[in-house]
Amino acid sequence: MVYKLIKKKMMNKKTYKVLSLSFLIIVFCACKKLVEVDGPATSVSSKDIYNNDATAIGALTYFYADLSSGFLTDPGSLNSVSCITGLSGDELTYYNLAGNNTLSKYFENALTSSAIIGSDYWTETYRKLYQVNAAIEGLTLSTSLNQSVKRQLLGEAKFLRAFYYFYLVNLYGDVPLVLSTDYTENALIAKTPKTKVYEQIVQDLKEAQILLSEQYLRGDAVTSYPNGVEERIRPTKWAATALLARVYLFLKEWSNAESQVTSILQNTAQFGLVDIDEVFLKNNKEAIWQLQPVRLGYNTMDGDLFVIPAEGPSFMHPVYLNTTLINSFEMGDKRREKWTGKVVVDGNTYYYPLKYKLIYSSAIGNPVSEYPSILRLAEQVLIRAEARAQQGNLSGAMSDVDLIRVRSNLRPFQEIGPNIGKDVLIREILKEKQIEFFSEWGHRWFDLKRTGAIDQIMSIVTPQKANGGIWKSYQQDYPIGQNELRNNPNLVQTPGY
Amino acid sequence: MQVTAATFAQKLTYSKKGVSLEEIFKEIKKQTGYNVLYSPEKVDDTKKIDVYFKETTLPEVLEKVVSGQALEYTIDDKNISLKPKESTFLERLANRWASIDASGRVVDSENRPLPGASVKVKKTGKGVSTDKDGKFFLRGVEEGAVLVVSFIGYLSKEVSASANMGNVVLEQSLSKLDEIQVIAYGTTTQRLSTGNVTTIKADVIEKQPVNNPLLALQGRVPGLFIEQATGFAGTGVKVRIQGQNSLNNGSDPLYVIDGVPFISQLQSGGNGIVGNSGVGGAEGNPFSFINPSDIESIDVLKDADATAIYGSRAANGAILITTKKGKFGDTRVNLNLQSGWGKVPRKLKLMNTEQYLEMRREALKNDGITDLTLGAYGDSDLNGVWDVNRNTDWQKELIGGTSGYQDMNASVSAGNERLIFLMGAGFHRETNVFPGHFADRKGSVHFNISNSSANQKFKVQFSGNYLMDDNQLPGVDLTSYSVRMAPNAPPLFTNDGTINWQQDELERSSFSNPVGYTKDKFQNKTNNLISNLILSYQIIEGLDLKGSFGYNNLSSVINNKRLLESVKPEYLLYYKRSTTITNSSLNSWSVEPQLSYRKRIDRGKLEILLGTTILQNINKGYSLSAIGFSNDLVMDDIMSAPIFRPLQSTSAVYKYNALFGRINYNWEDKYILNLTARRDGSSRFGQENQFHNFGAVGAAWIFSNENFIKTRLPFLSFGKLRGSYGTTGSDQIGDYQFLSLYNPVNWDIPYQGVPVYSANGLNNPYLKWEETRKFQVGMDLGFFNDRVILNGNYYENYSSNQLSGYNLPSTTGAFGITMNQPYKIKNSGYEVLLSTDNFQLKNFSWKTSINLTVPKSLLVDYPDIFKSSYASTAIIGKPLTAQTVFHFLGVDPTTGVYLFADKDGKATNSPDDAQDRMVIIDTAPKFYGGIQNSLNYRGFQLDFLFSFVRQVAQNYSFGGEFYPAGVFNYGSGNQLASLLNRWQKPGDMVSIQRYTTGSNLDQAFNNVYKSDAAWTDASYIRLKNVFISWSLPAKWAKGLRLQNGSLFVQGQNLWTITKYSGLDPETKSSISLPPLRVITVGLKVGL
Repeated sequence: MVYKLIKKKMMNKKTYKVLSLSFLIIVFCACKKLVEVDGPATSVSSKDIYNNDATAIGALTYFYADLSSGFLTDPGSLNSVSCITGLSGDELTYYNLAGNNTLSKYFENALTSSAIIGSDYWTETYRKLYQVNAAIEGLTLSTSLNQSVKRQLLGEAKFLRAFYYFYLVNLYGDVPLVLSTDYTENALIAKTPKTKVYEQIVQDLKEAQILLSEQYLRGDAVTSYPNGVEERIRPTKWAATALLARVYLFLKEWSNAESQVTSILQNTAQFGLVDIDEVFLKNNKEAIWQLQPVRLGYNTMDGDLFVIPAEGPSFMHPVYLNTTLINSFEMGDKRREKWTGKVVVDGNTYYYPLKYKLIYSSAIGNPVSEYPSILRLAEQVLIRAEARAQQGNLSGAMSDVDLIRVRSNLRPFQEIGPNIGKDVLIREILKEKQIEFFSEWGHRWFDLKRTGAIDQIMSIVTPQKANGGIWKSYQQDYPIGQNELRNNPNLVQTPGY
Repeated sequence: MQVTAATFAQKLTYSKKGVSLEEIFKEIKKQTGYNVLYSPEKVDDTKKIDVYFKETTLPEVLEKVVSGQALEYTIDDKNISLKPKESTFLERLANRWASIDASGRVVDSENRPLPGASVKVKKTGKGVSTDKDGKFFLRGVEEGAVLVVSFIGYLSKEVSASANMGNVVLEQSLSKLDEIQVIAYGTTTQRLSTGNVTTIKADVIEKQPVNNPLLALQGRVPGLFIEQATGFAGTGVKVRIQGQNSLNNGSDPLYVIDGVPFISQLQSGGNGIVGNSGVGGAEGNPFSFINPSDIESIDVLKDADATAIYGSRAANGAILITTKKGKFGDTRVNLNLQSGWGKVPRKLKLMNTEQYLEMRREALKNDGITDLTLGAYGDSDLNGVWDVNRNTDWQKELIGGTSGYQDMNASVSAGNERLIFLMGAGFHRETNVFPGHFADRKGSVHFNISNSSANQKFKVQFSGNYLMDDNQLPGVDLTSYSVRMAPNAPPLFTNDGTINWQQDELERSSFSNPVGYTKDKFQNKTNNLISNLILSYQIIEGLDLKGSFGYNNLSSVINNKRLLESVKPEYLLYYKRSTTITNSSLNSWSVEPQLSYRKRIDRGKLEILLGTTILQNINKGYSLSAIGFSNDLVMDDIMSAPIFRPLQSTSAVYKYNALFGRINYNWEDKYILNLTARRDGSSRFGQENQFHNFGAVGAAWIFSNENFIKTRLPFLSFGKLRGSYGTTGSDQIGDYQFLSLYNPVNWDIPYQGVPVYSANGLNNPYLKWEETRKFQVGMDLGFFNDRVILNGNYYENYSSNQLSGYNLPSTTGAFGITMNQPYKIKNSGYEVLLSTDNFQLKNFSWKTSINLTVPKSLLVDYPDIFKSSYASTAIIGKPLTAQTVFHFLGVDPTTGVYLFADKDGKATNSPDDAQDRMVIIDTAPKFYGGIQNSLNYRGFQLDFLFSFVRQVAQNYSFGGEFYPAGVFNYGSGNQLASLLNRWQKPGDMVSIQRYTTGSNLDQAFNNVYKSDAAWTDASYIRLKNVFISWSLPAKWAKGLRLQNGSLFVQGQNLWTITKYSGLDPETKSSISLPPLRVITVGLKVGL
């Protein structure tokens, strides 16, 4: 019946109308063209980012800007290692009216997995590692980059991967070793033993040493600065070497550590110890790798957090120096005078780190003269001192550590005790390191852990902290957040928690 | 003409004009004693004829009687039998020739043509539909045959056929069953619908003083659950139709305004204090930018039959909004003015100063603190910095104000057969209850014009709504301060009128003074234009081409000024004046060509619809911060700021394309079959999975139209059984989720001058549609001429292939990924709607409508759950909204600390998060609904609506939402008075643990909120709306030269019965502004 009807209507003069309009409808039918979109104008697609020098450099430079901008008390920022490990160990005290429950838990060595709320190092570092791995994959596949740029960026990516893993293993112990961007695999990844992670770190750093430039490079990742005016804010071969020296020290590969340091110390054209007043200034000769401040009004985040104003500690300045640390400075140590400050409020004295002196100023155009230093030569000197001492080269060790002592206006060991034994010397080198590197990048906490001194020290220190706590050895490794365990059934909590 | 009787002695004398056969038969009986026997169904005894009998014989009389009708008679003894004549073949042939062609025109009471009305011969079922002019032409019907004329929304009428019938006037049906329902790409009525659709009309919306039309639906539609996030103008509104189909992705319905899709969520960047429209949504709600007075009707489409034609976007149901159109007739002007007041309806019973200080002193004593701490956040309430004798009711000070409410609407409309128009304008102003000056002002215009060609073949309709909103809000919600601030906190202002910081001798401020935030200005200026054009052309009879073109532009400029007033003087060094400017715009257009075909086939009506949709949304936006203004006055001009900081930019294109069709066949209004299908493509999915097909089948059986029901159940005026099954989908994820992208990250000073990029999470190129299979059965019954109408539904919806954020461990580099997940969610439930006309008297009427929904949502299937990231949170066989909590055992009488049961039931102070959560709490509502009454007495009208919800919610009766009792924190520390029932000494059996000033009992405090004790009954019954009006008697109105006029009072959220101890059981919070109690008075005039 319908058919007949249509047939009849077809005869109609209006046939053409029906046909043409039906055709119109069919033209608009579901077709692919109508639902295809380009990527958003506000982003670069992952396919393109490593095929262009400028965007590839931008993707790597992101890591430095991010490190530089991180707030020190935010556990999500790798930068805050200084603050958090300082609180966990014996360097910093938490101001108990600061209203920061997370910091107080680090301070009291009372961390639990539920105290890690939201983001922590773990989360943030693995997010960075994803991007580093993506960069390594993208750069390796890329064919359209300038070869020098590609080498430098690949070197930077390998260096950064080693850098992030170094902090991960030292904060958490065994950690999953993620080397790809495949989320289906990485979502169910289990922990890798610490030693295996270190093997990867060493491998990455060795590759970085080959790939990275010897000269400090500009933002185009290929041109170097003229002598004397370089900005030491992109990693170089020397940064990779310095980190490798530290890694060998942690692995107790003393001779490897020594030889890495020696190669840096021989490069006197680029590096040398500077005066106490200049150590934290921008582009000083001691700096191996610094960061450029990116926030207006700030020099360094360290200065802004640690320097306590006349009103005293508060929620904005929640930490100050442990009195024991202050008391362990030797008489006449210039570092006590130059690198610490003090404020007296309501009859209480608060000492604070004053390595970075400039605080935030809302004044427009606050001049920038300090850069945060991540790797500096003094550490290398002390690494070699320890490595030499461990190998029985006590005089060599002593001459190294004395470089630091003399700079701080202390009498050299060669004068006061040229015949001290190996163990005492090593203890003295570590103490020198404690003083030289307080509130810097977790050096003290990591040294306590790697040397095994942590239980002895902390079982005295923890009860002195608020609420008369008890040191439990497992607190030396931080717990992993509940969400992480929940989202990965193969991941196990840090032992003890 | 057979005569079998022998004698015909009887004669009859009778003359009369226009006498009925019945009267003649009576006369025959009287004069001759003969009975006339006949069946009234077969012989029309009301037929009138003129007779002039004088001594006429009975056969002659009877010949005369039967001459007008095809009857024959037999005389047997004293009985005369009449029956229809059995015609011979030749006679039938002759009759055939005698048939006529009936023609006429079907119109409504205002003489407007009714195109598409059905005209049917009652006896044969043969029929036609009227054309665009309402005209019909019925070939070959017997003259005088009964024709049934019917049309959606009108009472059917029976007329007798004649060659030229003129106008057949149909009266509008007053039965609820015949009200027009707007459905996808068409209209129907509840009587003929095969789907589950509920309609709310303008008269209901107009009775409610609401600033968002969605709020007018609350408690009125079964299966629809609406929650208002806060009491602010522009508040977030959460809307769920038949439950939540997605675990943590979009569950918003599809909104369509006059046929054009509209967004369900705003772009982010609004003011957080107004709350969001469902978890994960952005601040505010886009329907704040629609004037409720411009709306003619809102139709809520729930099942697959009603929604599958919207395919991929209707898994969560659809809400169709139809704006007002002009009315046929003379020029009419309508005015509606109202003015009113709003208040926070409830206050918490908090501690007074005496109780508060008792708590604080006891806390200090418990902690062994004897030296009160000095300093910025030391114990300022007790150490002498504050006056311990002050007692302020901060709820009264900060949220105790009265907000203003003004609303004005005016419209003009007129129309004739070819041109109809409506123009309207509205103004709305609302202030809020805080100290300071904040107002939301809206101005809107609405117009609609439609025109048709002289031959009624070509029609065009153009409509537009434009609304400008200027919403000013404070930077923070003072409600939280009002319940937290210590009662002895210092006055907000000093004697000289400046903001008081009550500094100590070291010039450290002793509290966060909230009044500073009221100086900060948050201003959201939004313009919303919705327009659409519909062109239609009748190609041939029954075949129409229609094109619908829609355009929507929603653009906002948000200006967030942070002055320095809220900054403590000692921190001024660190702060600069800043203005954050957010600009966002959504441009959306759609084109929908449609071809519809209508034809009567056999005894049924066939309707076919074919169409396609092309749609594109372009979202653009950016925000930037201008920092460092030298003074407050120049903060509107970004050129006065020395520093700019770009914060964020958006640019997204969404494209969508579909082909859809529907076939509807209605057999004699008894059996109705409805088939729909759609093929959809969306740019939100990866190349491989861009297209998908959806479809549904719906059927209805109107059994009350069956004769056996009619005769056996005469009280049943209407009965329909219907069912549907089909698939719908959802693409409610963000754009570009299948692409892996790097976004620029902006710092004040670029690192080495290099613009940097950061990866934007993980990509999933395999993303595809989420699918919901909906099954539904329902029954609609009308009793006693539809005075009682009962609708019942049972639905069962299964959602699979769920598009959802899947939590990932950070070893993957992301917190999660959007993916299609294997779990299935089952939403089922019962919906009942009972509407009754309790009284229908001349001067008094009373109508009641009751609705109830009993929903249930379950996670039914989750393959490989133990390998997924939901291994420990999802509970198979339990509601999606279920969560596991500790079992609370009370306060340990020896230590005064909260006790919980571990997994073995043993009491512990520190239960384990991973193992000891043994109690399951379901946060979804158990049932909800509303009871609406409407009473009329002469000119007076009273309407009131009670809405009710049965649910549990977190009850903050163990201490403020942030800290335990005894803590003093930045000037805050007050608690509910019920927290006085605390542990003081060993042996106390109380509900609250011992007071403490510090964080040492934090764990127990946190755990109590993770326990079953915190989840208590938050059910409520709310007198949601009352409307009282008095209409001017017609005489008075005439005297005032008015068409009509009425005065009214209306109220919203007037009274709430609940056991919930927070500020409001709907917002389930004590720190955000609850929905206000609003009362308005007004005037409505028609000129």
